[in-house]
Amino acid sequence: MSRVPDVVRMLTLVPWLLERPGASIAEIAAAFATTEEAIRTELDHLDYCGLPGLGGGDLIDVRILGDTVVVGMADELRRPMRTTPAETLRLLLAASQAERMLGPAAGALTRAVAKLRAALGVPEDAVVVVEPEAGDLVEELRAAVVAGRRVRISYRGRGDTTAVDRDLDPWRLELHDGAWYLHAHDHGAGAARIFRLDRAAALRVTEQPVTVPVPAELEAPRYVPGPEDPEVEVLLGPGGTWLLDAVTVAPEATGAAPGGRTARFRVGAPEWFARLILMAGGHAEVRDPSGMRTLVHRRALAGLERLERSSGAASGTSDA
Amino acid sequence: MHAAERLVNLTIALLEARRPMTFDELRRRTRYYPQPEHATARRMFERDKELLRSLGVPIRTEQAYGMEEPGYRIDRREYELRDLHLEPDEVTALALAAELVAPAELALALAKVSARGPDPDPDVVPAARLPLDVTAVDGAAAVVVERRRVRFPYRTADGREEPREVEPYGVVRRRRAWYLVGRDVARDGLRGFRLDRMTGPLEAVGEAGAFEVPDGLDLAAVVSGPEARPVAVDLEVTPEGVRDVVARGGRDVGPGAHGTRVMRVEGLDRVRDLAWLLAISPEAAVLGPPEVRDDVAHGLHRVVEAHAEVPS
Repeated sequence: MSRVPDVVRMLTLVPWLLERPGASIAEIAAAFATTEEAIRTELDHLDYCGLPGLGGGDLIDVRILGDTVVVGMADELRRPMRTTPAETLRLLLAASQAERMLGPAAGALTRAVAKLRAALGVPEDAVVVVEPEAGDLVEELRAAVVAGRRVRISYRGRGDTTAVDRDLDPWRLELHDGAWYLHAHDHGAGAARIFRLDRAAALRVTEQPVTVPVPAELEAPRYVPGPEDPEVEVLLGPGGTWLLDAVTVAPEATGAAPGGRTARFRVGAPEWFARLILMAGGHAEVRDPSGMRTLVHRRALAGLERLERSSGAASGTSDA
Repeated sequence: MHAAERLVNLTIALLEARRPMTFDELRRRTRYYPQPEHATARRMFERDKELLRSLGVPIRTEQAYGMEEPGYRIDRREYELRDLHLEPDEVTALALAAELVAPAELALALAKVSARGPDPDPDVVPAARLPLDVTAVDGAAAVVVERRRVRFPYRTADGREEPREVEPYGVVRRRRAWYLVGRDVARDGLRGFRLDRMTGPLEAVGEAGAFEVPDGLDLAAVVSGPEARPVAVDLEVTPEGVRDVVARGGRDVGPGAHGTRVMRVEGLDRVRDLAWLLAISPEAAVLGPPEVRDDVAHGLHRVVEAHAEVPS
């Protein structure tokens, strides 16, 4: 961050510190999500601020003793500035985004939001965040992370044809590009792994405490193709370009083609990729290599065959 | 005097002023604008005033009776955030929400609302990360919070650019896109506008509090497209497919032919969930409803056709 003092933060530091005499520089920096250096600079400047007029007694009194701060003589700034509309909306958005993830704290968040709305005059429905629902699995995993318990999940990775059980020390859940991921230590692999939760099914929370601590830095969930992974060329019709967004693999190249556009991906897990092409329902066509074409063709035929063999009795209902 | 000190001091001076102060009064009674040249000092004051306003400091311009020059003051009731009386668990929940979503972008706002309240519980574990670019809607925040009509140029789905005038009711985040939802004045109807299709800045028109948000409004429904009717789909599932179907909430209905299970998944969307049904089709056949079965068969036929021959 810049070393230019933040005027709004200075105006907020005063009432915040009036309520917290003796707060440490480290605490203040953490609460304001900035550096200790920035806080020291701003406190130095505040010491020269106060009421107009020339008497020294009208200045704000900022005392820094070692690492602790006491502010006095600042009754004119006893209350913080109102949040701006942008800040208000940001808070409400964060609350809306997080509420499903707070577990037992969700009720307290709802109360806090009601108080915010009332104090700031925000219309009842001014913010809605619609993201995929956090299902039971997310909720149970969150509880396991908080409790520090090892879990066993049934997971179908990119390269797996069926789901496999994995024993994990769960570290953190992450919502990334609209999908939930779990960062964890995988005891089977003996390494950190990221699991996409829509590929996981059953979960069992064990009594065993986690043994591998959370690393300081966790990678963003993104598939990094290996150099030996074969390259696949796909022709995308107008109804298939969503594939470019849906795949967490960045295409190596894209280009225009008659009837749509082409994209080249490096694919380490052919079965997973074939499923993706099936999902496009004919709006995406594998051009190359022929092995991948054949796999997609075979999978689609298998689907049709299963459909024709099934009884097909008119069942299922609309439950609107 | 350092610029930051001057700006804080100007704020304090205008907060404490019992009546509007003209620039000349301010200059005489403080040392903030000591430039010998009046015009130079005035320019600096104007810059300070506009900067503070842009930061949200509500500086009023008032022409008091009998005064030649306009005077300035800050109404304490407009400036101050009134006490929210947040309970400790409420502050903890707000802090946790900020921590999960966008800690840096929310720190100052959180410090303001909790300045006179309790501190959050330091032992709470942030078990997840739910990053969201909360600054994306900054530009629309004022008109939503202040309930002001707004105009903007908008690129329609067919690529034309048209002006719109809207009473903005709120913002919605859906499928990685931001929407401003409100009443389209010209069309007198509820509409959602994608922020990334607004081709120019939002321009507030008219007074604050110009409209009321209708009661019981479901903003999310406005941008969810044509009314989706959830359907319950019955599947004949091989042992290999069971876990995928269970993961989507499938419940066992009974045994099927050839060692399969019949399972029912409630609440699927015929359009949106077709891709998933296609993906699992080698392990799970749709038994019904018939129209969903037809959708899957049609999609699979297209995939087969597209991949039947060696490409030229």
